Amino acid sequence: MDFLINWLANIPGFAVPFALGALGLIICEKSGVLNLGAEGFLLVGAMAGAGAVLTFGGFPLVALGVAALASAALSLIFATLVILLRVNQVISGLTIVFLAQGLTSLIALKQGWTNKAFTGLSSIDLGPLSDIPVIGRIVFSQDLIVYLTVVLFFVSVHMLNKTNAGLRLRAVGENPDAADAAGINVTAYRFVAVLIGALLLGLAGGYLTVVVSKIWVDGLTGGRGWIAIALVIFARWRLWRALAGAVLFGCMEALIPRVAAIGIQVPQYFVLMMPYVVTLAVMVWTSLSRNPATDEPGALGRPFVREERH
Amino acid sequence: MSDIARARRFGRINLEIRDDMPMWKQSLAFLAGVAAGLVISVVILLVSGVGLAALLNEFVVFIFTSPKNISGVLVQAGPLIIVGLSAGIAFKARFWNIGIEGQVIFGAIGATLVAINDIGPPSLRLPLMAFFAALGGMMWILLPTILKLRLRINEIISTLLMNYIAFNFLLHLLYGPWQDPVSSFPHSEQFEDFERLAPLGWQSLNTSLLIAVALVIFCFWFMVKSRFGFQLNFVHSNAQMAKALGVRVAALTLTAALISGALSGLAGFAISAGIESRMTQSFFIGYGFSGILIAFLARNNPLGIVAVSILVATLMIAGQSLQVFYQIPFAMVQLIQAIIVICVAASEFFIRHRVRWVE
Amino acid sequence: MTTGPGRISAHAESGPAHDPAVPALALRSITKSFGDFVALDDVDFDLRSGEVHALLGENGAGKSSLMNVAAGLYAADRGAIEIAGQTVSIRGPSDAQSLRIGMVHQHYKLVMPFNTVENILLANAAGGYRQSLQRVRELISEKADLVGFEVDLDKPVGALSIAEQQRVEILKVLVAGANIIILDEPTAVLTDEEGQRLLEAIRKLAESGCSVALVTHNLNESLMHSDRITVMRNGKVVDTVLPDAVTGPDLTRMIVGESIVEKRHLSTVTGKPRLTVRKVAARRADGLPVLSDLSFDVRSGEIYGIAGVGGNGQSELVEVLMGLLPPSEGHLYLDGPGDITLARSDERRRFGVACIPADRQGYALAGDLSVSDNYAIGGVLSGKYGSWMRLDRKTMTRATRSAVKKYDVQGVRSDGQRSALLSGGNAQKLVIAREFSGDPTVVIAHSPNRGLDVRASAAVHGHLLSARDAGAAVVLISEDLDEILLLSDRIGVMNSGTIVSEFDAPADRHDIGKAMVGHV
Repeated sequence: MDFLINWLANIPGFAVPFALGALGLIICEKSGVLNLGAEGFLLVGAMAGAGAVLTFGGFPLVALGVAALASAALSLIFATLVILLRVNQVISGLTIVFLAQGLTSLIALKQGWTNKAFTGLSSIDLGPLSDIPVIGRIVFSQDLIVYLTVVLFFVSVHMLNKTNAGLRLRAVGENPDAADAAGINVTAYRFVAVLIGALLLGLAGGYLTVVVSKIWVDGLTGGRGWIAIALVIFARWRLWRALAGAVLFGCMEALIPRVAAIGIQVPQYFVLMMPYVVTLAVMVWTSLSRNPATDEPGALGRPFVREERH
Repeated sequence: MSDIARARRFGRINLEIRDDMPMWKQSLAFLAGVAAGLVISVVILLVSGVGLAALLNEFVVFIFTSPKNISGVLVQAGPLIIVGLSAGIAFKARFWNIGIEGQVIFGAIGATLVAINDIGPPSLRLPLMAFFAALGGMMWILLPTILKLRLRINEIISTLLMNYIAFNFLLHLLYGPWQDPVSSFPHSEQFEDFERLAPLGWQSLNTSLLIAVALVIFCFWFMVKSRFGFQLNFVHSNAQMAKALGVRVAALTLTAALISGALSGLAGFAISAGIESRMTQSFFIGYGFSGILIAFLARNNPLGIVAVSILVATLMIAGQSLQVFYQIPFAMVQLIQAIIVICVAASEFFIRHRVRWVE
Repeated sequence: MTTGPGRISAHAESGPAHDPAVPALALRSITKSFGDFVALDDVDFDLRSGEVHALLGENGAGKSSLMNVAAGLYAADRGAIEIAGQTVSIRGPSDAQSLRIGMVHQHYKLVMPFNTVENILLANAAGGYRQSLQRVRELISEKADLVGFEVDLDKPVGALSIAEQQRVEILKVLVAGANIIILDEPTAVLTDEEGQRLLEAIRKLAESGCSVALVTHNLNESLMHSDRITVMRNGKVVDTVLPDAVTGPDLTRMIVGESIVEKRHLSTVTGKPRLTVRKVAARRADGLPVLSDLSFDVRSGEIYGIAGVGGNGQSELVEVLMGLLPPSEGHLYLDGPGDITLARSDERRRFGVACIPADRQGYALAGDLSVSDNYAIGGVLSGKYGSWMRLDRKTMTRATRSAVKKYDVQGVRSDGQRSALLSGGNAQKLVIAREFSGDPTVVIAHSPNRGLDVRASAAVHGHLLSARDAGAAVVLISEDLDEILLLSDRIGVMNSGTIVSEFDAPADRHDIGKAMVGHV
């Protein structure tokens, strides 16, 4: 029982980076911009978050804000490449990953942030609520960002589906020519979507250092950005499914060390493989089903150039 | 077109697609892009505390006057050329092979399988290792290719996922059945002498460079001279039209993808048998994305891939000494690659478009 | 049309509304070039309140370019735009919209997964989402009543028919409050009957006070349904005339410059059936049946014309004939090889089947590649120009040069020039040069004159006739009834995926028209 509660209570911490990452990616990709740079945005957010805590000597919430902003700053380069210069979106995404890997390890090393432990953000205590047996540990003893993530999902679902801005954003990702003809500034919408996406990815990255590891080392994100990309495919660009997927992936991540700790032999690398295998299986299943329920944006990956040809 | 910049009262910036630009102007724009990228990188290094004299020394004098470093660059260039070709040939068929790293891993697994199980007589060991490496790479690209051709599943995502599956499988082998029995470190046991690529007798050069050259010649023939390459150009430019004209697009895509996988597998063989002499848990890191960016910069041209690979290899060798002597992290090499790609991409924009101010 | 919703600039409202002396929209000395090509050369055009003004000309004459300037899609190099007598600057579609200019493009600008209301809301939001949604819904019904449209508001527009999608587009500009409405070739995709209904709706619009610019290449449409006609040719205005004051032949002369009248040549020698199609059925990729129980045969030395309204399975029929879409039932036979139902496209080409598809840039040319590559690919695939080991580039270039000359492909400046730089007519000639280079015995031509001017289309028709006279069996699939009547020796009418009736040439236009719309 203790094992179970322990496990369940730990899931949100593992799930949040995936959930925020997938949320950021979906918002970005709803505008038609394929973002393969996720890992890079996470890295920059993680490094900036750690750096901010170390520089300010605390203030983890401020540090999370810095993480989001740092990643958004990087996204300006990405947005310029894919939206203004119309560089292939796959190439641009990979370039951002390279850029972030180089930048984060260079800056962290030069600033002396690497391998330096700090006190990050801890869980909030809701007093009597947190003391409720079982539920208290699982639901009411999380950190602030866990609750914020849930709120962000509600807000995003509402914004995407029940506002004019959301309608326009989806139109831009679905058919930029139509959106343009409707007087929507495609460039601006895509820029903003990339920026919001990067803010969320940066927050996810910041969470990894400021809340989870409380230390920065090179390559700390360990491929979570790629998992977030896989998660978006898994969720077929639907927000609630992405949240569910994040929790599912979080379950697995939280389970492995716990199972290993109590001495059960598991082929752990095969378990670590599962998220990818499952995502692949979901892709196959989606394409085989007669009526694929997918919200994949129609113009995903396609640059927009107004046709100025005879 | 008004979306480039919001125009003021009386004019607007107009973006037009250029019809054509002479080849020499295009080359000039490309070189300007590379140069701009290098200048920015130099500035970053200067800011990071490496002196200009030291930089000049590391990048120019040291590398081009020391035979040891020249050979170091060439040794490093070998696998880069091979992964560059792998990416280039796949992209020619509009197959976005993001899974090069996974295929490199399975190439090395194939080679190592032969080496540690002593399959075949010693004299045939190396060719067998190469064959299994190519087979391993092909095996690892086969599933995404079939999924793309049969079910139209996006290969960008599927090949990417295959990387992680391959990596975890590699860890499973290295922490399990293939762990080095001598040292108990998570890498395979060392290859025997006859399982390593033979030195060429000058500095550290070995036959992996010859393999790379042979593969360049093969790819040049395949992509530029042969009838396959001619048809592949149509698949690249307009697959729908190629199909309507009777080009067997699916068969050609499958062929190109399998060659791409085999090349990646051979890169894994060249690294494990030519550089590391064993399979480690990190030998492949960076090769996949470097290959993709090299092919992008070289516009999928085999000869261009050689040139760009040598540039990247130079960066890597210089990066190693920057790491040792100036505390610059090795990831700086990736940063420089990224900056060059950004600058070249920006220059390409001006090759493809004409920006005009319209009153 | 007193008040439009939202976003109407003070500009437009302050202008004098119905002063007939001041045009609602005036374009003055508009010049626009794309690279070296001058699309519009010092063009003047004005549109009065409450009139339907036809803008007539061949494809490529500059009609659409001119209207795109008015709609803010193109920026003119020089010239001025006046709305109700005041000079305005239009920097994008949203400027045009706030000046109450609305354009319905040839290619609809609709977001397919959205429903009608969402599509229209996209350009017309004001205030909150819920309120806008409600308001737009009401406005749509109001405008739909005004012009007599019926449209499903809640289905995704992707599931609507072409005619319904067009109505959504028109409602979109009306809801936006446009009183200057530009329609780009609106009847081209409609059946005669639907077109008639649309033209009536356009008249109602003009009566309600809107000004309508009707871009068209159809003489009768402009003569019968417009108040004034402006004719354009080669990027210039030829003249603006009243429909009562001109005749069809006058207009033709103005459009073409000199009159080219193609004559009918019926086949003199027809042989035995060369291509036989028997009870063919096929489904689209999404599983929808598009062809059923389709049979016809084509003899060598004849042109078999397939008439029909677009979207009745023509494209799929071409795909079935070329081996790109396997039929679910039925058989195809070729004189010689026999049953070719299962033969791949490359095998069919080797049997002598050639194809001129409707979508040139999509299915016949690789725009990035050179003219020479695009010509030679046919030969390369049938084993010409060197071995599989090594291509013979020299012979390829030589052959291309002589074909370019023989088929009069103009605008080829160098061997390595990208084919995307060719104009429509020359691109079509290049396609024909390639397709005829293997002396085909079966030619499948789908709308071969689409997008071509009169001169180019006469040249293309000449090539089809000479292929027929050389003994080929020609299948001509076209939505242009004039083209069918001009060229065909026999005519099959296609409706809902099958041939509903056949006629021997010369056939009665009226009978064919009735069969096309299903009132046989």
